[in-house]
Amino acid sequence: MIGVTNLSRHYRMGPTTVKALDSVTFGIQSGEFVSIVGPSGSGKTTLMNILGCLDSPTGGSYILAGEETASLTSDKRAEIRGRRIGFVFQNFNLLPRENSLENVELPMIYQGIPSRVRKERARDMLRKVGLEGRERHVPSELSGGQRQRVAIARALAGDPAIILADEPTGALDTRTGGEIMELFHSLNRDGTTLILVTHDPLIARRARRVIQIQDGKILADVPSGEWTP
Amino acid sequence: MKGGAFFENIRMSLRSIAANAVRSFLTALGVMIGTGAVIAMLALGAGAQKSVEASLQSLGSNLLLVYSGQPRGGSLVRRSTTNIVPTLSAEDLEAVRNLGPHLVELAAPESSSGGQAKFAAVNMPVTIVGTGIRYPEIRNVHPILGSFFTEQEADSRKTSVVIGHQVYQELFGGAGDPVGQKIRLNGLGYRVAGVMEPKGSSVTDSSVFIPISTFQRYVSGNPKYALINVRAASAGIMRQAQGAIEKEILRLHRLPNLDAADFYVANQLDLLDTLQGVAGTFTLLLGGIAAISLLVGGIGIMNIMLVSVTERTREIGVRMALGAKSGDIIAQFMTEAIILSVAGGLIGIALGFGASWAFSRFGGLASQVTPLSVALSFGFSVLIGLFFGGYPAYIASRMDPIQALRYE
Ligand SMILES: Nc1ncnc2c1ncn2[C@@H]1O[C@H](COP(=O)(O)OP(=O)(O)O)[C@@H](O)[C@H]1O
Ligand SMILES: [Mg+2]
Repeated sequence: MIGVTNLSRHYRMGPTTVKALDSVTFGIQSGEFVSIVGPSGSGKTTLMNILGCLDSPTGGSYILAGEETASLTSDKRAEIRGRRIGFVFQNFNLLPRENSLENVELPMIYQGIPSRVRKERARDMLRKVGLEGRERHVPSELSGGQRQRVAIARALAGDPAIILADEPTGALDTRTGGEIMELFHSLNRDGTTLILVTHDPLIARRARRVIQIQDGKILADVPSGEWTP
Repeated sequence: MKGGAFFENIRMSLRSIAANAVRSFLTALGVMIGTGAVIAMLALGAGAQKSVEASLQSLGSNLLLVYSGQPRGGSLVRRSTTNIVPTLSAEDLEAVRNLGPHLVELAAPESSSGGQAKFAAVNMPVTIVGTGIRYPEIRNVHPILGSFFTEQEADSRKTSVVIGHQVYQELFGGAGDPVGQKIRLNGLGYRVAGVMEPKGSSVTDSSVFIPISTFQRYVSGNPKYALINVRAASAGIMRQAQGAIEKEILRLHRLPNLDAADFYVANQLDLLDTLQGVAGTFTLLLGGIAAISLLVGGIGIMNIMLVSVTERTREIGVRMALGAKSGDIIAQFMTEAIILSVAGGLIGIALGFGASWAFSRFGGLASQVTPLSVALSFGFSVLIGLFFGGYPAYIASRMDPIQALRYE
């Protein structure tokens, strides 16, 4: 599903070069649940952005669903984001004026899915994340946990190959964060491929596999049962 | 852009416009005022043009005026003939008439002089006009009471007079039938034959009309005419008729060319051209100023759209992360700009109609909204939406999604 080989992302900062990612290599199979863990500034978000085709690597190769993505035009990357990627952000990033249903519809609009199909599918996704009856609520009428559920429903709506979640529980209290992790587990049991970025070892351990990075390099890549932070 | 996204864009734009209702209104206000101003100003211009045509028509149609003397700037149709030294003779008049019905339909001589009219104890200064029986037809001014003097009266130096409407007002209080009454002009008694319709021009309304033969005998003592009024056979041959008249009178006066002439011909067409030119310039000027205000309205839209794009940086980032291409983002912001400018344009058209109506209702100005000006200003406001919405939309579409998502 995902094949990353010698992937690098360097930032030139005047005379020095920041190696946010330094020759990273790993693969992720369909249906996996992987957490990427590391301290702040270790390169997790940079890796997420590249895996999500928001950013391009400065070196190496990234193959997503059989397609080399390293040097694509911005429109092509937008298309891949719409078709193959579902994002879940720490701060939810819902559109404040749109209600839950409309927020979930968004990625399908850009795929050109007709309105009736969109609405039906958005309703299904909201049901899947346990938000039946909240379709007409705008984000400000929902709790943090509910907002993140809407965001997850939205990530699922485009029927992506993979869901990328960057610190999805970072803005939530421990109990609500735990519920969101439960939701991720149940989605993964239903076959969704999940990559979850976190700096929290306790959250990281709840995935099946842990990739630990530090200073842009992979320190460990093990099943979560064998991982010691 | 995909088909479904089109209606989505409209829905989202309307929502965003509604969410900032006051700001949206102020943004569109510039275009409203601009469009309204263009329509109202062009309406004023069109109205001016129309009233020029109408007032020229009211002077009589296909009018040529043969004046004594050297041409003076402007050659106004109704120059006072009071102070002109008459140079035109009965022979000239006859020659003009003899040019034939294909060129000259009617001709009437005219001379005038200042004088005093008196009835009972009322005195007033008047212009005494001596003319022929065709004068009412040529100059498009007709009696409302009684009749103009007849051929016999004109030939026999009868002391008949047709009085202008203001003279009627002042001498007879504007009521009753004065026909048959005697009034005095410069001390001589005249029988009132008729009263002219009001013309709105003080010259005509404060004139009294007597047969030219009577005028020559009792008023001026001069056998020449100051002016010959001519109605050409049709609008199409006016210049031809003018040329023929000039040639004929030059010959009779034994003059080599027009530079040396002691007469000149004023052509209604020339005047129409001049006045329409003035009205056209006026229209252009007003329309130009209004168009600038429309442009300023467009800049207002651009300004607000740029603010809106900055404010919604995060939203743009989210949309990009969810698969929006740069074209989708452009379409979204362009839709919003166009909705604002089109709404502004439509309201502006209504304002323009209202202003035009108010001009004629309360301002006494001739004003007429033309379909062209509506189409023009509406099209212009759409273009302004496209043009001034284009740049902010482009800025939005070029955002880096990572930066945009990070925007606070
Ligand atoms: N746009 C950028 N320009 C320069 N350096 C950057 C940029 N984005 C990230 N970095 C650097 O790359 C490194 C990794 O950042 P990031 O991936 O955000 O870390 P994490 O998400 O693990 O906290 C950091 O040192 C950061 O300063
Ligand atoms: Mg990060």
